[in-house]
Amino acid sequence: MKKIGKKVITLIITLLLISFTAFLAFQIIPGDPAAAVLGIDATEQQLAALRREMGLDRPLAVRYISWVWDFAHGDLGQSYHYRTAVSGLLAGKLPVTLALTALSFVFILAISIPLGIVMARFADTRLGKAMNVGNQTLMSIPSFFLGVLLILVFGLILKWFTPGEYISYTESVTGFLGYLIAPAMAIAIPKSAMVIKFLRSSVLEQRRSDYVRTAYSKGNTDNRVLFVHVLKNACIPVITILGMMIADTMAGSIVVEQVFNLPGLGRLLVSSIGNRDYPVVQAIIVYIASAVVIVNFIVDIIYRIADPRIRDVSL
Amino acid sequence: MGKSMKKKNTALASGLIISSVLAAAMIIGIFYTPYDPDRMNGAEKFMAPCLQHLMGTDNFGRDIFSRVLEGLKTTFFVAVCVTATGSFFGVLLGAVTGYFGGILDEILMRMNDALAAFPSILLALVFISILGSGKYNIILALGIIFIPSFARIVRGEFIRQKELDYVKSARLQGAGAFRIMFVHILPNILPALLSAVTVGFNNAVLAEAGMSYLGIGVQPPDASLGYMLSEAQGYLFSAPWYALCPGIVIILLILGFSLINEGMGGQHA
Amino acid sequence: MLEVKNLSVTFPEGTAVDNISFSMEKGEILAIIGESGSGKSMTSLSIAGLLPHDAAVSGEIVFEGRELLTMSAKERRGIQGKDISMVFQEPMTSLNPVMKIGKQVEEVLVLHTELGREERKQRVLEALTAAGLADPERLYHAYPHQLSGGMRQRVMIAMATVLQPRLMIADEPTTALDKKIQGQILSLLKQINKDRQMGILFISHNLEVVRDFCDRILVMYRGKLVESGTPEEIFHNPKEDYTKKLLASIPDGKRSEGAETGNRKPVLEVKSLNVYYPEKRKQKKQVIFDASFTIYEREMVGLVGESGGGKSSLSKAILGLNKHIEGTIIHHTEYPQMVFQDPYSSLNPAKRIGWILEEPLRIQGKLDKKERKEKVLHMLECVGLEPSYAQRRPRELSGGQRQRIAIALALILESKFIIADEPVSALDVTIQAQILELLKKLKEEFGLSYLFISHDMAVINEMCDRVFRLRDGKLYEEL
Repeated sequence: MKKIGKKVITLIITLLLISFTAFLAFQIIPGDPAAAVLGIDATEQQLAALRREMGLDRPLAVRYISWVWDFAHGDLGQSYHYRTAVSGLLAGKLPVTLALTALSFVFILAISIPLGIVMARFADTRLGKAMNVGNQTLMSIPSFFLGVLLILVFGLILKWFTPGEYISYTESVTGFLGYLIAPAMAIAIPKSAMVIKFLRSSVLEQRRSDYVRTAYSKGNTDNRVLFVHVLKNACIPVITILGMMIADTMAGSIVVEQVFNLPGLGRLLVSSIGNRDYPVVQAIIVYIASAVVIVNFIVDIIYRIADPRIRDVSL
Repeated sequence: MGKSMKKKNTALASGLIISSVLAAAMIIGIFYTPYDPDRMNGAEKFMAPCLQHLMGTDNFGRDIFSRVLEGLKTTFFVAVCVTATGSFFGVLLGAVTGYFGGILDEILMRMNDALAAFPSILLALVFISILGSGKYNIILALGIIFIPSFARIVRGEFIRQKELDYVKSARLQGAGAFRIMFVHILPNILPALLSAVTVGFNNAVLAEAGMSYLGIGVQPPDASLGYMLSEAQGYLFSAPWYALCPGIVIILLILGFSLINEGMGGQHA
Repeated sequence: MLEVKNLSVTFPEGTAVDNISFSMEKGEILAIIGESGSGKSMTSLSIAGLLPHDAAVSGEIVFEGRELLTMSAKERRGIQGKDISMVFQEPMTSLNPVMKIGKQVEEVLVLHTELGREERKQRVLEALTAAGLADPERLYHAYPHQLSGGMRQRVMIAMATVLQPRLMIADEPTTALDKKIQGQILSLLKQINKDRQMGILFISHNLEVVRDFCDRILVMYRGKLVESGTPEEIFHNPKEDYTKKLLASIPDGKRSEGAETGNRKPVLEVKSLNVYYPEKRKQKKQVIFDASFTIYEREMVGLVGESGGGKSSLSKAILGLNKHIEGTIIHHTEYPQMVFQDPYSSLNPAKRIGWILEEPLRIQGKLDKKERKEKVLHMLECVGLEPSYAQRRPRELSGGQRQRIAIALALILESKFIIADEPVSALDVTIQAQILELLKKLKEEFGLSYLFISHDMAVINEMCDRVFRLRDGKLYEEL
């Protein structure tokens, strides 16, 4: 238990570090936030008044604390560009990105684990080797290009969906999820190929272990050795990789939302960078980074539960 | 054993062939392109691939093959600079923290962990939103972002190697810390480093192409494969070759290096 | 019971077992002795049906009237674990790390019997108890990492005996264990053999281990069977040259004549030395308590003790590789050096032998380039290697050759005091004898002093003038 307590403290420190980095990064940007809001025509008096209103005349540390305080209470500041509360802007976009990330991750699990096992089982055969070459190629396709290909083949040629005609989750949940299938696949396929490669080599490595020889010496069949003995050992390192995939999946959604014209956090982020709308950029970055850190924390806990060797020393 | 060696060699050989063909095309592209990549020709819009235009022409009648060569040059330049920056500082940091350990190591590793929480493209976007877009800002941003991943690999290798008896033996012979680090240990971690370089190169290609696709990477007039792809998306149905050609070149570039890594028995990263 | 006829095992790289024949009676203990690469393990794996896929086997293995090599894989599995069981060398890795002990032993019953859950558990608990393990109920739910090496080997034995097979193959079952545990495991095996009339095929590289243990001995060398007989015949009347060599390489255990130390100069003085092992943040564990001793010139001093007993910590402290110490260490010689246990990691794998040997001279800025090269060639000659070895890399050398290089490396700065940390324990027995011989010869030639660390009393007695024993971190002189 002690170790978990320590992990929680590390988690909180990391979150604070993220928020401080994000806060500081946007403090050192050249230019006056008040001028950014009011435009070039503003008078000196108007600027000074707004600066006081925005609290820009206070010391850095005080501003950071009050920013974190507001942030924790859901006040993410005002957008320069849209002139509305950032929290309101994000509220509509967050479900889209979360749904896309979650769906992609489900696809990654559903594709990579069965295929990885099959490829390891038949690794020595011609079929297994051919699959490995195909896998290597899939790994090399950037998700945004895969998205373009999916639009071309399934949207324009086969007409399974209409590219660009996004269906909001407020209109129809099934229609919304249906539209997310193609972008989620664009994210999931290259990532799955990576997980498959890792799982396959992990299984192959485990198959050379001494305990596998022991298992055979008891009269186990090939399949029983694979499913009863090897698989659990082989999956433990894969959990770490899957954890890293979550961060990558979120990153992938930033780009893929653009490809499929999805109104999620990623598109808002990209357009806000173009508009120099820093409060929005700042809020989205803190959101995504925190999500990644928290997910990694959970993965770490799962890892400890899965591996008795670590579980024992640390719980 | 014999069989797997052979298979590795085919992976390495095909990787080397793909990468060197692309590198050769890139070098030729510096001195010669069939057409001026920026010359518009209203009479030759959206031509399908043919003998005059190997990859067809785009919405302004520009030769796509020439533009792909131009984009390849940019991508190579960015990826090489990023990998060089990342690996140079990564090796320095990783070697020092791994070999000496202690408080400096502790602090740098904590910072590294915090940095690793940000997906690299997100970090790059932060940098770009502060620095502004453009080729050199991308190199600066990605170069810095890639330092920790190199440092982590090098640090791990140094921690492993410094426990080996040959390092103790060198200390007994009176070798200084820096001689041990860079003369004795460094040659032993080259395979791991080489593997990290190929993976890093691919990540740099992906990041540059992705950012340029989003329109916040390399800016016109610099040609970029990613930016071409985003322009081409609007004409996907009428001129699919416009999107396919730069896309396939990106895939080949990444595939080549990952096959080389695979052939050398490289790690996953 | 077991009849092996004209067995050969061939790999793409070469022949591992070359046309051997032998037989085994019910309830017999048969030992196969040989160095690594002699084919003894491949012989046992072909009987157990566990050969790697790229092995080609010919000949016959008849077990209780059934031909093992030609039967179907399914029939073979019916025998594995039920009639023929196996115990392996590495208890640390031979058990599945993420499966409970009870489940692993029980698996044999699941595969070969129709017993119900409760009955199976009962049988497992009995087997664990019979293997000399206390508190089987708790062990049933334990994971392998929670057990010591000796306990894990007992679990392996429980697994290999739970179905009372007629033949157990034990492949170096005690090699990875401490001396004390070795004895316990051997007597456990002997007892099981007596109680249950279970035949044991015992594979080992160590003639001494099997001397009082087995009924018959087969000696293998380079895939061939060179000699067989009772331990009596092998030890007292060996016929083949190779067997004689093996016997000669067992140190005879007589302490060499200790010359008086009266007028000799000390090379090393250690006074009230405390050594700590740094653990996490600021915590230190004391591993050596108040050690004092002196080593004189031309003296070989032995240091013995259980593994993990602080021998390596002490040697590192003496050479300044461990800074967490209190007390005084005075060296009266320049450049004290060390010969490490594992010659595979003590030579830089990325460099050539010539470069490695030259490096100390280069660091110390001693000689010019030409003189350095000459010195390297001279040292190679001293340790009995050709000049051409300077161009090779460590991985191209055998273990014995690497250890020769390591010795040359320790001597190239003309050091007079050398710590040899288990310098032969990673080597085959005949090579061991050669390296010990070389160390003695060099001592005379160069007037060296050694601190010779080993867990093997026989080696120590053969080599050393005086012996220290480390027990619980305290140093005692043996008389």
